[in-house]
Amino acid sequence: MTQQAKTGLVPESSSRQSRPVFSWRRVTRDCLYFLALAIILGVLWNYSLLLKAFDGTLITEIQQHQLAELKLKAKQLYPGISFIDLLSAKKLYDDKVAIFVDARTSQEYQIEHISGAASLPVRALLQGDIKPDKVLPDREAVLITYCDGGECDISLELAKELSERGYQNIFVLGEGWPGWEAAGYPMDK
Amino acid sequence: MKFLHNDYLHLTVRLLIGALFLYAAVPDILDTMGFASSIYNYQLFPSSIIGMSAVFVPWLEVLVGLSLVSGVKARGASLLVSLLVVVFITLAAISTIRGLDIDCGCFSGVERTADWLAILEDLVLLGCALFIFFFDSARISLASLIKKIMFQRTTDKEAL
Repeated sequence: MTQQAKTGLVPESSSRQSRPVFSWRRVTRDCLYFLALAIILGVLWNYSLLLKAFDGTLITEIQQHQLAELKLKAKQLYPGISFIDLLSAKKLYDDKVAIFVDARTSQEYQIEHISGAASLPVRALLQGDIKPDKVLPDREAVLITYCDGGECDISLELAKELSERGYQNIFVLGEGWPGWEAAGYPMDK
Repeated sequence: MKFLHNDYLHLTVRLLIGALFLYAAVPDILDTMGFASSIYNYQLFPSSIIGMSAVFVPWLEVLVGLSLVSGVKARGASLLVSLLVVVFITLAAISTIRGLDIDCGCFSGVERTADWLAILEDLVLLGCALFIFFFDSARISLASLIKKIMFQRTTDKEAL
């Protein structure tokens, strides 16, 4: 076996004298060092998160974290907008008091939405393609806007837009339709 | 193609990519839950993978970032950067094809959607990482500087 075949890409003779010789073995070993060190540092720094990942509580904590972030964002960017929790939203739904308003695109709405919800895509509303009066004629009605949950903030945008257009009782369902569906509440597909 | 073997070009690319990885990783280490949340948004992974990625990946980014900046074991680091970027590109492509409008989680505090533009940026990053992997001699590096100082001291002592 030639020296080039043993060492890899750059033959020593063709490179300048101080150029290090390429070796897959050395590169692989260095990569493994980096990976091992990253694992050790990661475990030392945040082993509690790893425990949560394996006992199944991490997803719930992430969802709570995202909701808190969304509320913080709402406080900073859209002051005056109120959130509603899942249980209260379900009570208003059961009592037929509130109208649920889907802020996503009409295509997304058609795939899946909260049962009985109205579709009012926020992008179309902002572009003037949809008049909210046609979808929501009663400005006194209790409205609950929602979108994809998590970091999705178009439900906030929609609530702000509706508020500016004279609607008075608007709430945002931070958990969105995924939270609603996960709770086993009715969906239309 | 002589410029591909220019030491100063190697140094510049290494410093840029290393600094970029350090800049991206440090906030993720300080806010691990935020990074876990970004991974969760891709709607692809179970809890265990999210947890392990959120805990290990930022530290790996810091290590490869330091390695590239210092020039110590830069070739191994550039290979890992290439692999990480390939993973990022795959995730962004899947999200774009699925029509998900999510933050890519590339940089903490900066809202960047995982879309074709993010993929293009990652491809540039991949090109830089592969350039370092195949061409960088790491002749101008912290390691070579230390070696030079040590060599200087030895020759000075011998001269005395």
